[in-house]
Formats: sequence, structure tokens, C-alpha cells
Amino acid sequence: MKLSRKTVPLCALVLTLLFAATEFNPISAESRDQLEKTDQLTIAVRRLTESQYRHTIRDVFSPEVEINARFEPEQREGGLLAIGSAMLSLTSSGFEQYFALASSISDQVLGDELRESVMPCIPVAAIDHDCVRQFVSRFGELLFRRPLSAAELDARVATAETGASQAQDFYAGLKLALTSLLVAPEFLFRVETAELSTASAHEYRLNAYSMATRLSFLFWDTTPDKILLDAAASGALYAESGLQSQIARLSESPQMAEGIEAFFVDMMQIDGFENMVKDPAIYPKFNQLVSDSAREQMLLTINDLLITNGGDYRDIFTSNKTFINRALAAVYRVPYTSQEEWAAYEFPEDSERAGLITQIGPMSLWAHPGTSSPTRRGIKIHEIFMCEPTPDPPADVDFSLVQDSTKGTTRGRLLDHMENAGCSSCHGRSDPAGLALEHFDGLGQFRTLENGVFIDVSATLYDGSKFTGAQGLGEFLHDDPRIPSCLVRNVFSYGVAQLPRYEDRDYLQEQTELFANNGYRISTLFEEIASTAEFYHVRIPEGIKANSEVIATTP
Amino acid sequence: MIKSIRPITNFVLLPAILLLTPVSVLASWTRSYVIEWNELAHYYGADTGVVEPGTDCPQGTNPEFNWVEVLINAGYTREEAQWLRNPANPTRSPVHGQNQMAFRGKDRANVYINPESYPDTGLIGVSGNIGEGINLDGNEDTGFVSPTGEAGIDNTFYKTLGCWKTYRGPERLSSGALQFNDGMRNGSWTMVIVVSGEGVDPMNDDNVMVGFYMSPDDMVKGGDGNVVEDYTFRIEPHKKYEGLFPARTENGIIVSTEPVTAMLRDPGYTRDLELQEAQIKLEMKPDGSLRGYVGGYRPWRPVYDGWVNARGPVIEALTWVELPSVYYALKKTADYPAAAAQSDRTHISYALRVEALPAFVVSPDASEVVKKVVSYKDQAPQLTEPSRGLFSRIQIVDGIVIDSRLEHRAGPDAIILPSSNP
Repeated sequence: MKLSRKTVPLCALVLTLLFAATEFNPISAESRDQLEKTDQLTIAVRRLTESQYRHTIRDVFSPEVEINARFEPEQREGGLLAIGSAMLSLTSSGFEQYFALASSISDQVLGDELRESVMPCIPVAAIDHDCVRQFVSRFGELLFRRPLSAAELDARVATAETGASQAQDFYAGLKLALTSLLVAPEFLFRVETAELSTASAHEYRLNAYSMATRLSFLFWDTTPDKILLDAAASGALYAESGLQSQIARLSESPQMAEGIEAFFVDMMQIDGFENMVKDPAIYPKFNQLVSDSAREQMLLTINDLLITNGGDYRDIFTSNKTFINRALAAVYRVPYTSQEEWAAYEFPEDSERAGLITQIGPMSLWAHPGTSSPTRRGIKIHEIFMCEPTPDPPADVDFSLVQDSTKGTTRGRLLDHMENAGCSSCHGRSDPAGLALEHFDGLGQFRTLENGVFIDVSATLYDGSKFTGAQGLGEFLHDDPRIPSCLVRNVFSYGVAQLPRYEDRDYLQEQTELFANNGYRISTLFEEIASTAEFYHVRIPEGIKANSEVIATTP
Repeated sequence: MIKSIRPITNFVLLPAILLLTPVSVLASWTRSYVIEWNELAHYYGADTGVVEPGTDCPQGTNPEFNWVEVLINAGYTREEAQWLRNPANPTRSPVHGQNQMAFRGKDRANVYINPESYPDTGLIGVSGNIGEGINLDGNEDTGFVSPTGEAGIDNTFYKTLGCWKTYRGPERLSSGALQFNDGMRNGSWTMVIVVSGEGVDPMNDDNVMVGFYMSPDDMVKGGDGNVVEDYTFRIEPHKKYEGLFPARTENGIIVSTEPVTAMLRDPGYTRDLELQEAQIKLEMKPDGSLRGYVGGYRPWRPVYDGWVNARGPVIEALTWVELPSVYYALKKTADYPAAAAQSDRTHISYALRVEALPAFVVSPDASEVVKKVVSYKDQAPQLTEPSRGLFSRIQIVDGIVIDSRLEHRAGPDAIILPSSNP
């Protein structure tokens, strides 16, 4: 983005004040040396995801604030964007995007339409010191997810007053202060801090505001609200009763649907729809509307089954209750008998559909642009639902036989391919699940023939398990113990934004058993995990010398 | 315990959502389609291009005119004619220069509404013997022979206008067909077809009904730009546009068992496609699509008026035709009622080529799949105004655009040259 002549000095002013004021403490070699002398330790820095950013702006200011921007690409690690977010920085072009977006948000928030509902006070002059402080203090805390330090607050107040003085306009100055908050690393990144426990000078515990942030983003996918921040400020979160009170409040809120949705978007890699393409000559029904609708169908199904009805998580592999719209009905080749934009629908038995993974979304996402892909489907099922990633193929594999989609069936081509001993070890594990789904083409349309040949959808797993078709696969997955244990692992990893350690094995096993005892209910799983000490466990990043042995503090 | 959950999206109202049910088993069979293309059934007799000579039009399409000479022949001076036709002339606008084209009749009468005030300059018709359509009168000794050898094809509309540039060309390639089908496919209107039968074999059933209905739902295009099949369309009850055809099927071909009067949505300027003695001949193709003809005797004067009301000067200039010659040609070739004198024949045999894709057609309230062909006219709201031309947003009077803001207007007494303007 090219900065305008007007923007450059504004940007320079804001940035100068911003960095002069910030207490942001990236883990540099210099700071590491200082750690032994401090009682505050930055243990993780995670960049906000796009949905977290959007939800935060909506909740802090107003749903009416429009956010028109292209966000920096995210990165998936260990199967989750949440883990990847702890490894992301900000490019210069990305910062320009954030800066432009911050200016846009400031203009809207303090513009004529929203100003009245947002402002905590009415300025009495172009320079109104008290009113500026009230505004910066209130919204700084919500955006930084902790109270501003005196230096941070003073810097923004000075920025606002300088701007107001030059423009002789209170709100012109305040916009600069708000913009500086919105481009601050403390807002764009979730900075997690550990502190020395009050109980022991040799123990670190997660800072209460960092606890609140973990809770809020897990349950609501947004910044902590004032109540949660107050609980952090008062120390209530350190007490069992205070923590449970907040968990109960968060889980009973309608906003939990967004938290669970955000988790499944991450875990199921639903973000992949943004880049999905299909060959229009092979799949003429595919267009952007179908792509968007397929994504929405997955979310509606999850929402209805797991949240609204509090269902058994494993039923996502067998339940055929879903929602369709006119575009999806055409791809499923069923009539759309509703005048609403979306309508509840249950696939009939003879549709061979079996749960979420046989919907258009996964079937088209886990396929090639012009063909289905049993291998890709199998890999994704193992990776997403069983936490079993598959290594990349060797660089010298001859794919020509597999890629000739004009002859025979994909199954036949894959079996030929698997005659290569170097390929069979992985394909023997990944492909059977995908082969069972071959009655759905690369767009998820039902078929029984490929190139005029009947498609065999029987499958035999490497452990000898046998099933037939999507419904057989659905039942198999429903009852496979790896399914709930993987979900527990993912919820935990998503919440703490880290891969589980070896030492967490027993903990995860206990949580999996608890998950089963609670009827595999996802909301209960969130509550249980958020109630455990492991969720707030402090891990000192490699290379940082702490001044004592690090011990997790039980809230 | 979660007490209530906000819907994920703001456009989903879960309490209002209806539970859909799969298609119920039908006592008789039903097939349904959406018309994705319909155009005049004009056989193209050349091998390539759209204007080349062929068996239909040995001289190719009707020749282009020298409009300056046309105006001179109508009584304008060469200077006036050149002024009116000069593209650089600022007064050659739809409200002045072009409009003056209308006033070339006797005593500068408006030729569009008084075509007989202008001599018949001749419109070359089709001279080949191959034509498409339906044998409307059952007489195999009259009419064209179809491309597949069927004799007696009645399509005098094609014989009369088939060499007109706008309406000549290979299937889907004439400019007239492209213009209106593009509009239809982009949402201007939608017609659906429902076929239902009482027998056990849809391909051979003596008791079939075919219904043509309007739909409020747009067609949807896929990634390749073509209309996508299998979408769902509601029936929109309409007081005028509906056609119900008793028929039978034989080896998958649907043919009328008795002629009817039908009014369909015209893929042309007239909008009203009224057909007397209307019949159908449609094939249910193995790929699920439907293709064939709707034919009948069509009143020719509304068709002529359609071109006039689409702005006569524009039609003439863009399609290379003199509208009075079209008028004379239609009047001379009209063939219905057959028993009437030629001057009293108000209708002309006509055929529309229809291509339709498989689609789901549901009741007007979308509550169920249509299971039987019936009339929905009783459910239709009253028409609030007569069907109007395509250009209802501008004022067209007698074939020309009227702009009351202008001081100088076209007309019999208009001063043409600027030096003569006050």
C-alpha cells in the first residue's frame, strides 16, 4: 500500500508516540538477561486471527463498524492455526494494512453515527484532558486486555491532545490516540505474561489478565469483557470459586457458539474454502455461492448438533441432519422446498450420506480441482479427526498413473500406484477411508460410476477393520476411540496455543475419559479443560532463563 | 448448561426454518425443467458464419442499406439526408436525427405507424425447403421438410423473416437470440416446464400433460458460464403467461394430442407470445434435458408493433431492415385463419425452438414439488397494467423516443439543417 502524503506524517507521529510509550517486551537476547531481575515474564506472543480481530472490534465498539481489509496469512502448525499464531510476526505490508484498518475503525467509531454511543464523556473543549483519559483508559483496557500502564496511557493522551491542538478538534486528536491503540503490538498480539506467585517466590503463575484472555478467546473468540477483566483485576480468577463463576458465565452465554465455531473452523481447516478452485468443465455446478454455502452448511450443522442440541460429538460422523439452501440443493440434486434462505434438511438413507464429512464442504475441499482424491480425504480424516498426520510423499514419486482420470476408477488407479512399495506404507493407511467415500465426486455429488465403471466403496484398514461406503466409515469413526481423544487434544492445544507435551499425556487421557462420561458434549469439554491447572500452566520459552523452577499454579 | 445460543449467521432464523422432506413417491410420473434457451426455430442453411449464402438464403442475409439514399428516396435532400446520417453530427441523437427516420412516408408520415404510406421495398424471404417447427395443419403437402425429413412443417414466420440478419444464424448464434436469451439467463424472466403422465412408462404414455409456467426464481450459472441444472424453481401464477398442452409420449418424444391456445413469455420485443392452435414437439433426451418446438399461429401485427415500440429507428439501423417492408411481408404471408381472405389473415405459422434443463419445480409457496400439471391462473394476481415494451422507463410514442425537454423535435415539419434552425 502506498501511503499518501497526508498519511505519512500522521503515521510517523503515531508510531513515534506508540513506541515511545510501549512496554511491549519481545523476547530478545537483551531482555532475556534482564529476566532474572524481573517478576514479570512474557511467555507467549500470539497474533490475533482475523475472526478474533473482527469479533473484538465488534464487541468493544459496535457491530456497525465495518472492517474491510485483507489480513495477513495465517499459518497452521500441529494441525491448528491457533498454534501457528504463536509463531507469526508482522510484515511491513501487513502493518500498513493494519494501520489503514485502524484509521478506518477510528474514523467510524468517532464519526457522527457511532460517537454518541461510544463516548464515555462529552468533551467540553477541543482539549479536554479528563475526557481523553477516560476514553483511552476504558478502550485501552479492552483492546490490550489489561489496564494500560501509566506510560501507555500518558502517551496516548499526549497524542490526542497534540492532534486536537493542531486541528482544533477534540475528536481529530482522539482518533489519533485510538489509532495508536489499534496498531499497538499489545492489541494485535495476545501477549501472555507469567508472574511470580504470591504463594512462593520460586513459582511462576499465569498473569490473571492472561488467564482471562485465554478464557475469553476459548469460549467467545473475542477479547475479555469488562466483567472478566474486573475478575482478573480483583484476583478472583486465582480463586477456584471465582474461576468457576467466570467459566459458568462464559459457557452460558450465547457467545459461546462463536467460540466453538471458531475452534471447529480451525480444527477442521474450514479456512481452506477461501482458496478452493474447481475445474468448471468437470464441475459446472461449482461457483463461489456453492463454495460459501458449503462452508456455511458445515458451521450450521456443527452449531445445531453440538451447540443448540448439545449432542454427542461423535454423531458428526453419522447424523444426517443438516441445513441446505437453494444452491446446495442443486448440487445434492434434491428439491428446495422452502422460501427461507436456509432450511433444515435430513438426508435420506439411500443418499449414502453419513455425517458432516460427507457433505459438499469436506468432499470438495479434500479433493483435487478436477477429481476426487481418496488419498487426500483419507489423510485429512486421519489428520483432523485422529490427530495422525501423514508425511509428505517422496519427491520422486511417479503420479502419472494416478492422475489419468479418464480411465477406470480412482480406486483402480490408486491400487496400481500402491504396488510401489515405497508408497504403500502411507497409502495403505490413508487411502481406505477415502476409498469408502468414492461415491462422492470431487464436488461431493453422488455417483456410482466413474468412466462407466461401477465404483467399489469397500475398504479394509491396515489393522484389518473392514467397512463399506460412507455410512460404514461413519459408523467406524463414530466408535473409534481416537476420535474423542483427538478432539480433547485439539481443544487443549487450541486453548493454550501450544502442542501438548509428553507430560500432558495422562492429563489428556483423563480429560478424554471425562469427555466420554459427559456424553461427549463439546461445551462441557470446554468447561472441563478451562477448569484445570494444565490450561493455565506456564511454560518458559526455550532460551529464557527463569529465576526459579517453573511450576504451574493452580488457580 | 447452555441456555440459548445465538444463530451463527444473521440470516438464519432457526425457528422459522422448515423441515424439508424428500420427494414423495408419485402415483404418476413427473419431470420438470427450466427453459435455458429459446429462440425462433430458424433453420440455417449455410455451413459457416451467420450471414453467408446458404440453402435457406442463397444470397445470404438481406443486404445492408445506404440510409442516405433511403432518405433521399423518401424526399429528403441529399444535404438533409447526409446531415441526418452523419455520425459526427451532434443533432443525430435518438431524439432528433434518428427520430426523423420515422418520417419518410407519403407527406412525411410516420412509416412505423403508417407503414402503408411507404412503398414496399421488399424483404427477401427464405427460398430453401428445409425448415424447423411443427406440422400444425396436418397437411404434409404444405410447408417445409424438417432437417430429419418430416414433411409439412408449418413455419411461415421463418419463410418470411428467415433471411433478416438479426434472426438468421446457427443455433444460439443469431444476434436476436443472443440478445434475449442473455437477458433471460441473467434474470429478466424464467419459464419452467412440467411434464406429468398417468402411465407407467414416461417414454411411452398416451396420457400426458405439459405445463409452461413463469417462475420468480432466477437461473444460476456455474463456473463455465452455463445455466446449472437441478436448481429449484417456484411456479409464479400468472394471468397471461401459461400454456397447458395435452400430449402423449412416444419413445421419449412428447407430441400434442390436441391444439390449444397458449400465451408464453416471448423471447423478443413483443413479450406476449400468443399462439392459436398451439402444439408442442419436445424430446426428453437421455441426458435429462428437453429439446424441441412449441408452434402455433401467432398474431403478426403485435410482433410488428414490438419492433416499432422497441424504437423503430434503432431497430432499422442496427438490424438492417426497413420496417415497412417487414410489415408488408408479414401481411402478405400470414396464413391463418386459412379460410379467410389474405387481407384478413391475422396470424402466421410460427415455431419456437426450446431447450430446457432438468430442474425441480415446486408450488408457488415452495411447500411441495409439483406433482401434476394444472392451471395456476386462478391463483395469479390481477395484472395491474398491460404488458409494456422493454423500454418502459422511457417514453416511446409511435416508435420514437419523446424528450419534451428538447426544443427541436423530429416530425413531418421538422427543420433539418442547422442553418435553417431559428
